[in-house]
Amino acid sequence: MSTIAHPSPSNNPQSSLSFPRETFAKLSPHPYLLAHLTPSPSKRANSRSTAQFRTPHINNGSLTHAEGSAVVRVGDTTVVCGIRGEILLASDVPNYRVTTGAVGSGLEEQGAEEEAKDLDLLVPNIELSTGCSPQFLPGQAPGTLAQSLSTRVYSLLHSSRIIDNEELRIWYEPPDLSALGSNREDESMEDSEDSEEEDKPKREIKAFWTLYIDILFISLDGNPFDAAWASVLSALRDVRLPHAYWDPDREMVLCSDSISKSKKLTLRGCPVASSAVVFRAKEKRVSKGEEKYWVLVDPDTFEEGLCDECVTVVVDCTGGVVKVLGIEKVGGTVVGREEIRRIVRIAEERWKEVSSLIEA
Amino acid sequence: MTDRRRINGPSGGTSAPIYSSYLTKDSRDIPERPTRTRPPNVLRKMFLKTGVTPSASGSAYLELEASKNPNSTAPGLASLSTSGLKLTCTVHGPRPLPKSAPFSPHVILTTHVKYAPFATRKRRGYLRDNSERDLGVHLETALRGVIIGDRWPKSGVEVIITILEGEEDQWWGDDIGRGSVGAAEWGMMSVLSGCITVASAAIADAGIDCVDVVAGGVAAVVRSRNEGKAHMPTLVLDPVPSEHKEIVAACIVGYLPGRDEITDLWVKGEIGHENNTSSGNTSYDELADNAVQAALGSHRVLVAALKETANAKLRRLR
Repeated sequence: MSTIAHPSPSNNPQSSLSFPRETFAKLSPHPYLLAHLTPSPSKRANSRSTAQFRTPHINNGSLTHAEGSAVVRVGDTTVVCGIRGEILLASDVPNYRVTTGAVGSGLEEQGAEEEAKDLDLLVPNIELSTGCSPQFLPGQAPGTLAQSLSTRVYSLLHSSRIIDNEELRIWYEPPDLSALGSNREDESMEDSEDSEEEDKPKREIKAFWTLYIDILFISLDGNPFDAAWASVLSALRDVRLPHAYWDPDREMVLCSDSISKSKKLTLRGCPVASSAVVFRAKEKRVSKGEEKYWVLVDPDTFEEGLCDECVTVVVDCTGGVVKVLGIEKVGGTVVGREEIRRIVRIAEERWKEVSSLIEA
Repeated sequence: MTDRRRINGPSGGTSAPIYSSYLTKDSRDIPERPTRTRPPNVLRKMFLKTGVTPSASGSAYLELEASKNPNSTAPGLASLSTSGLKLTCTVHGPRPLPKSAPFSPHVILTTHVKYAPFATRKRRGYLRDNSERDLGVHLETALRGVIIGDRWPKSGVEVIITILEGEEDQWWGDDIGRGSVGAAEWGMMSVLSGCITVASAAIADAGIDCVDVVAGGVAAVVRSRNEGKAHMPTLVLDPVPSEHKEIVAACIVGYLPGRDEITDLWVKGEIGHENNTSSGNTSYDELADNAVQAALGSHRVLVAALKETANAKLRRLR
């Protein structure tokens, strides 16, 4: 069972003292990786360069029962994301004040900034206990890694505001019955124009779409956050919500199953996440003196196990303007401002590659 | 019920979308049920691939194509499509048991079957429910007889199956509140047959010694009803529950072709004994024999996939 998946023809004759590469990697992983990185140009144990990502492959629409779905493969990490839409009635929301507004009146935006977050309309969940890796066996409740990944996806979804609140609302416009009354009174035609605005029934929000975003890891080989976020983005782009309307006779929300009336979600922007870990030459911390370090982009399980410090950068370059949506850095003090600048530039390159795949 | 370790949905509770065509009684609006286009003794095309999870000891992925409505060519909304079957299986082991476990002279097999939340028409939660435990027990029965357990004392093997897309129990059109005849869980039978096949591929990929390669097969006795007049029941292999108006009985077996042995057998429904049935009605023995034929069909696909895996592994070792 080898941790590194590439064949390596050895030029040296097999003497009794030398091991095959896989055994060496298992017995002393830190010197193994250090031996790869020390000569310049540095190559990693998986024969990528330090700033090279794995090629992603994205597949959409493979799940029948999900409104949107995506399967993302980045190297050996495979993620399946399925999005299902369910209906939340406005009457079921505690403390909800009915929002009304005529079309185009801007009243809709008032107080609606945090609507998706307050009402919990986007529900992402990451499931790692699927046997994707020997340390994630099923039957266990979500551990630290799964919970923190779910929370990071949740906060990125809301802070990036890629889904407009309007997309998730189901409006109801009561039919205008005032026309029936005014036919009998012809002399009040002048008055009726003024009072038409007040008598005309306002449309109101009757229900909301709730999107359950379920992310399952089929296989994990390092860097779960990037793959999970890419799958969420790609699945959101694939979502097709049926046309929903309030039926006043039955007093329930019904959906129409014709494809021509269904609509795809319009997303604002396309943020892409890139992660990197920092590998230090000395395992023990040295308090003074320069020590050598390498920033390894898109780590796999082997490299993640040897590094403490981790940086994640989320950028969005739609429209040619680079926007940094988030920088997370934990675990050490090696990476400073210059290094972060370099990582952001690498993340911009990655954005071009991933966004062209997602938008295709 | 809030799960503190997961992100929960709205506290008010949400409901699945109800489509207007579910409620209409006008038969013109309802699309036709998909019909079975293949002959009764032909199985669906199966796609089987091993090695999808390199970090596990062994893994496999199985896919059975969905039945299509022969009249419609446009891609449908989720409400109108019937699903196929998509399973992944990972095998971890043989691993040493924890020190606290009592000594066991043979390997301890643990199976775990889980539906993904988006696998079925009705969204499933993250906690295991009874049908999943049931599937796990049947799977363990099917695999237990095949693994040569004595070679690994004090060890455990975990077989984990995730169902990405599951068979439905009945066509959604029958669910319209006209009083559906209590649908027993027919979809679970094809799912179990797929689980046995994919688990067997993953175990072979993991290199665990077995006496033979077990394959799963399912057969059913179906009856079509036209204008209230019941037809004679017919026997079909690899049934898709949504293609048939009424399923009388179904049987699933885990079969070892090399030794002509059955490791697991499960029959559901009404079926009679050979001596008691009138001419034309299927008996229990015939149903079981046909399920064995179906298992032979999936065995062929299984062996072809395993040959490819073995060749790939030999090439890597060279």
